[in-house]
Amino acid sequence: MSSDITPEQLRDDAAFDSRERRITVIGAPSISMGGVLRDVAKLSHYRDLLYTLSVHRVKVRYKQSVLGVAWAVLQPLSLMLIYTLIFSYIARMPSDGIPYAVFAYSALLPWTYFSTALVNSTNGLVSHADLVTKVYFPREILPLTYVIAALFDFLVASTVFAGLLIYYNVQLTWMALYSIPIIFVLTCFATAVALLFSATQVRFRDIGVAMPLLMQLWMFASPVVYPLSAVPAWLRPFYMLNPMAGIIESFRRVMLQGEPPDFTSLGVALLASLVLLAISYVYFKRVEATIADVI
Amino acid sequence: MAMIDLKFNHVSKRYKVRANEDESAATSNPILRKLRQLRRGSQDFWALRDVTFEVERSEALGIIGHNGAGKSTILKLLSNITTPTSGQITINGRLSALIEVGSGFHPELTGRENVYLSGSILGMRRREITEKLDQIVEFAGIRQFIDVPVKRYSSGMYVRLGFSIAAHLDPDVLLLDEVLAVGDAAFQAKCLQRITDLKHGGKTIVFVSHDLGSVERLCDRVLLVQRGEVAASGPPREVIAEYQRLAGGFTASQPPAAQAGINTRRIEIRSVVFRDSLGNETSAFKTGGPLSVSIEYFAHERVEDAVFELFFYAGDEELHCQLTTESPERRLEVEPGRGRVEFSCPELGLQPGIYHLDATVVQREPLEGIEWQYHCAMMRVDPGRIVRGRFYTPHDWTIKSEPEADAGAHEDALGQIVSKI
Repeated sequence: MSSDITPEQLRDDAAFDSRERRITVIGAPSISMGGVLRDVAKLSHYRDLLYTLSVHRVKVRYKQSVLGVAWAVLQPLSLMLIYTLIFSYIARMPSDGIPYAVFAYSALLPWTYFSTALVNSTNGLVSHADLVTKVYFPREILPLTYVIAALFDFLVASTVFAGLLIYYNVQLTWMALYSIPIIFVLTCFATAVALLFSATQVRFRDIGVAMPLLMQLWMFASPVVYPLSAVPAWLRPFYMLNPMAGIIESFRRVMLQGEPPDFTSLGVALLASLVLLAISYVYFKRVEATIADVI
Repeated sequence: MAMIDLKFNHVSKRYKVRANEDESAATSNPILRKLRQLRRGSQDFWALRDVTFEVERSEALGIIGHNGAGKSTILKLLSNITTPTSGQITINGRLSALIEVGSGFHPELTGRENVYLSGSILGMRRREITEKLDQIVEFAGIRQFIDVPVKRYSSGMYVRLGFSIAAHLDPDVLLLDEVLAVGDAAFQAKCLQRITDLKHGGKTIVFVSHDLGSVERLCDRVLLVQRGEVAASGPPREVIAEYQRLAGGFTASQPPAAQAGINTRRIEIRSVVFRDSLGNETSAFKTGGPLSVSIEYFAHERVEDAVFELFFYAGDEELHCQLTTESPERRLEVEPGRGRVEFSCPELGLQPGIYHLDATVVQREPLEGIEWQYHCAMMRVDPGRIVRGRFYTPHDWTIKSEPEADAGAHEDALGQIVSKI
């Protein structure tokens, strides 16, 4: 039998590879601070899986489509064209003095990232039922890969944004660098909601069915097709409770108007994202413990 | 003292089974029905109760038992796919589980991409996978197809690649679930060799299988699981014998229980006995080998048109075959007293596995059930003739070739020689 490793070699490997053995203890599901920290630490052992699966997401999505990566651009671009037609030419929506096309695209860019991440990750656990019932790995990796794949799409779609900026002769300022922390906050928020939705979807498939409607409503509750200035002053405090409002408004300000972000609303969004992230993660791990039994 | 690599400490696992909808709760309003279902909750089913065992370093532990006894629950708990309801499991080192090969494959991706995908799902680092890629591909024997999407693979290639990935992981503890039931005979032998190598290399192995022959060859110790509890533990030969005794625990000394109300006791089945070709009692046979089994009965009165039958059920409770005395031409008359019906098959068609037998007697005209012994015997079929497919069918073959003109004379001569023989 042409076995490629002899027992001796294996023994040598074992001696050579004196990596310390990790002791795993599996007990009844419980919630504890230490447990959550251990889970996060375990996640770092699986960073290669996170990477491989995220690349896989992107590859599979584009492999059998003719237009390939162009789809990442087409979605926000076509929405931008439709909204420009409706809200600029027909409804004469104000856009803070910015050409409506670039005004809308600057918001559709982060919005599409958020909605793609959510719509795909919500189904992330359920669509991998055969994997989840057969192999162990930290399950949060599944929704996370969808967020990362959506981030990739966001970067691809950003190239069109650059083209629009040149076409409409919008000067970028140093303020544009604020987009990096803004995207970070957005990623935290998207991850938090993705964990929450994907875990809930395991038991209640209603979430998945409600997603298109929910995302539609959420978009109109955020300053995507209209400027924040169009929201009545009395409504503002409530309106800004939606983290997406602060994120999108800030992104548009730093990219198009050369102004610093609205630190108050962005701070609220960051705080909300982090709190929600912690809660979602604990909830997710709680669901994970018995996910293979119910999925 | 030997290192303990695996420890089950008073582990129990409860599943919630949704209670059956009863008639009184039936309502046409789907929302109301859902709400009632939620409130009524569910029934508990204990898949494991207070299971405790340990596995030492470089020991190979076999786990056997009927389907539904709790074997797969143990595997799922060990591999952390699900968590225990109470108790604790301790694993020392990296564990890799081979529960279903190729389950992590994505059809659109190439073999190479899938190696990375499956490898990282099983917990390997990319660097390690790159180092082992050649070995993996070589072992699976699919070098020329490695950059082809796996959806174009044959099922054999699929399985070979899946096993190869898992077998080249560098785990400290390896869980195997019926993995040897895949692929062709040559590849099965290769797998078994690989597992033996890993074992000699100091890996700790937990092996769950219905293939008692492999369990006996491979394992140092065997655990028998029954109804969620450990029923026996010890040297393979003893535990396997115990399993067969428990499963086939019907002998003449035990009073046969009445089954399903058809038991009229005109004929009693006393025992079902298997014999090998030398006439010695046995309960192990080989695919393609001879089978001899007899039903020993005691008739209290004369039955004019009796039919004796044996039904063979596999672990999944699926009926795999039947032996019967029924024939359109012949009537079987049973006189009062003791007797024996002997069945013999020159070549057994069943694939390797464990089979439970039901023995029945019915009267054909007028139709009446006389005796039914449910799962009254157990037999084991070991790999003999290795055949693929659901069953082996005895067959003959001949070859007829059309000789070419110039070879004609020689062929004719050969033909004559053959016919003389």
